[in-house]
Amino acid sequence: MPNRMPPKSKRLILKTAAATLVLAGLAAAAAGAIVLRAGWYDTTATSQHLQPVHTLLELGMRYSVRNHASEVRVPPLGAPRQVLRGAAVYAAHCAQCHGGPGSAQAKIAQSMQPLPGPLVDAGAHWQPRELYWITKHGIKMSGMPAWQFHLSDADLWSVVAFMGVLPTLSARDYAQATGVANAAGTPASAPTTAGAAQ
Amino acid sequence: MRARLLLGALALLAGCQGKPPPSGLQGDPARGRVALAQHACRACHMIPGITGPETYVGRPLVDLAESRFIAGSLPNTQANLVRWIRNPQAIDPQTAMPAVGVSERDALDMSAWLLAPDN
Repeated sequence: MPNRMPPKSKRLILKTAAATLVLAGLAAAAAGAIVLRAGWYDTTATSQHLQPVHTLLELGMRYSVRNHASEVRVPPLGAPRQVLRGAAVYAAHCAQCHGGPGSAQAKIAQSMQPLPGPLVDAGAHWQPRELYWITKHGIKMSGMPAWQFHLSDADLWSVVAFMGVLPTLSARDYAQATGVANAAGTPASAPTTAGAAQ
Repeated sequence: MRARLLLGALALLAGCQGKPPPSGLQGDPARGRVALAQHACRACHMIPGITGPETYVGRPLVDLAESRFIAGSLPNTQANLVRWIRNPQAIDPQTAMPAVGVSERDALDMSAWLLAPDN
């Protein structure tokens, strides 16, 4: 038998491979359609993503923001008046979901899936231009709203400036800067039967 | 008498299935796991069995059963952990950890999950 495959059997192999791929694709699509239509996927916010899914989605978001924010030009940040304005904007629009040092986010945000995280470490994960981009455009399917049509550009940057000083604030500093009390209330006011009807 | 022994043996066998209840701990760890997620603990703490980002805003809550102290200097008992979860600033006024409005029952269940030996 010669080393080279005769063209005829080569063609047969290619055809078989192509048919197998098409059939496997169709089978996967059919299986997906069945799972979707039967309602087997659990969309409740009490069920969690699998960790690899969460990690992958987060990574995709990270790369997307990094890419899209690369052209943003950053104005001077950190003037005391700007930071003060940023604290007010943060207290009015950010704290209810993200909380602050010593201050919890509101109930509505505690139960979101995915969770809105704290922003004290935002500067460790993001460049100022990226924080501006996220605040301005929001993040699809995460609950993070776009603020572009609700805040002026100066206010968007003031929040970014405030996030820059956030890690340096103690719980007391933060309360003074924002004038907010603990959004979730003290435990004394917590309903003792919360979650009883699980 | 024989039936009773048999029942006792069955009860013992039933106890062997799944996760053994952690010795001396009160509360429902499985419910506590959901309660931890629903009170946003995972936003700042990495917690075994709960999905979320890599974060070090609060200490990772791994191997809590083996820690001698919680919150720096509080002896690690379930009762202290419940107190800490419900009102951390009453124990350490300097802490950045907020009270998030956790009920006694939820805090007990959370502590049962966090103190489980294999977490």
